[in-house]
Amino acid sequence: MATMKFLCDTKRCIECNGCVTACKNENDSALEWGIQRRRVVTINDGEKGEASISVACMHCSDAPCMAVCPANCFYKTEDGIVLHDKDTCIGCGYCLYACPFGAPQFPQGGAFGARGKMDKCTFCAGGPEENHSDAERQKYGANRVAEGKLPMCAELCATKSLLAGDAEIVSAIFRERVAYRGSKNAIWG
Amino acid sequence: MNKWFKQIGIAIALLFSVTAFAHDGAEHTHDGQATEGQIWSQLKAGAEGRTTSTSEFHAQPINTYDLRVLELRSDILAPALMAALFGMIIIFVLFIKVNGISKLHGGFSGKLVYRWSKFDVSIHWLGAIPCLLLILTGLTLLAGRFFFQPYIGEGLWSNLVYAAKQVHDIMAIPFMIGWALMTVLWAKNQLPKMYDIKWMMVVGGYINFGPFKGKHPDAGFANAGEKLWFWAFAVFGLVISASGMLLLFPNLFEPSRTLSLIALILHSVSAIIITAFSIVHIFMATVMSEGGMECMVSGYCDETWASQHHNLWFDEIKENGTLKYKE
Repeated sequence: MATMKFLCDTKRCIECNGCVTACKNENDSALEWGIQRRRVVTINDGEKGEASISVACMHCSDAPCMAVCPANCFYKTEDGIVLHDKDTCIGCGYCLYACPFGAPQFPQGGAFGARGKMDKCTFCAGGPEENHSDAERQKYGANRVAEGKLPMCAELCATKSLLAGDAEIVSAIFRERVAYRGSKNAIWG
Repeated sequence: MNKWFKQIGIAIALLFSVTAFAHDGAEHTHDGQATEGQIWSQLKAGAEGRTTSTSEFHAQPINTYDLRVLELRSDILAPALMAALFGMIIIFVLFIKVNGISKLHGGFSGKLVYRWSKFDVSIHWLGAIPCLLLILTGLTLLAGRFFFQPYIGEGLWSNLVYAAKQVHDIMAIPFMIGWALMTVLWAKNQLPKMYDIKWMMVVGGYINFGPFKGKHPDAGFANAGEKLWFWAFAVFGLVISASGMLLLFPNLFEPSRTLSLIALILHSVSAIIITAFSIVHIFMATVMSEGGMECMVSGYCDETWASQHHNLWFDEIKENGTLKYKE
């Protein structure tokens, strides 16, 4: 079985936000206003050492969101993708506190923790509803994985900076790139 | 020998110059690009950047915190809260089976002494009823997925945990009002006195065997055990209220994610302590101390109960003339 991972090659990311747009478009049916499952963050913008990285749910092997959820609404697919059941989600926000990547988002931010149902990147793998059903489209968006395809963000990345797929294949591609590029300015890393 | 020193000295000097050059190179690479290692170390240190997303915390790619807090909930806090509730109940039932309850000597006198005002009784229940609901719903939220969910259906579980969250959020408000009023208005009767030490030494005279049998330690308006409960409730009530407010009104206080996680831990720890004390308190009032419950029903207590359990207070009100019987 595959273990699905994202990897963003910061040497290639040009901050075009193509991945953000691709994700928004592909999962539009499930996204409420203001929510974007993927974002590009640029550190040291306009200075020496500027670097951009595309961030969304990293589908952790030891997912902190899964560990803290009081409703236990998260589950992991056999491909290592971390998904959640919006019908069980109580909107408490613990997953947002625990996630190192800020992946979980909520449609509201009201008092009494009235946040609504959490939304996050699904690796374009839908949710617990029947594959390609209306309910799945409305709550979770696209299910490309069921069609044997990879997430739209990585598929549309113009520079192939954002890689998605089985961890071994993704890291082999990245390792090859690093070896080819060399790293003349660094002692390590 | 001298030659050796010279060589070692040169070697060290060269070593330092190399790292100095390397360091310089890392700071300002010729093309202004950071290496992967440098980017990674900045991101791991929590660097923030620019993003088009307006979502909460999205400017920071990685929020680093001590991941040990994650296992704390499942491995320590959830079982501890279960133990604080069900463990204490089991211990108390066994204790009463072995020890028996504290009966009034000579039975009820039938004369009821004024002890609490109607207002006192009402603020007690204003805090107490929400407190019980908060314990049960809080238990569902902290320990439910480990101890209840495996035994019930998925539909029932999601309804149960959703209801628990709603009740927990709403009941927090009357609980905090009750907590604040009780803490402020009752504190002066709860100040520790020297005779409280003696009370503690004989565990209040509630133990009916061994060297403790038949003891009746002095107690004022409140005994040492009640004082301990009062101050535990005051302190951990403050912690649980403050941490709860952070979690309940994130829009108002805008806590960081790490602070929210810390609040979550403090909230659970306080809950465990308050729960354990609450069970003892409920058992003492309803089962253990005959005639005790009357205080929080009518505000009056039986004269025998007053002289047996709160002798110093009873003597005092007899002396200064504030003793009032129920009409």
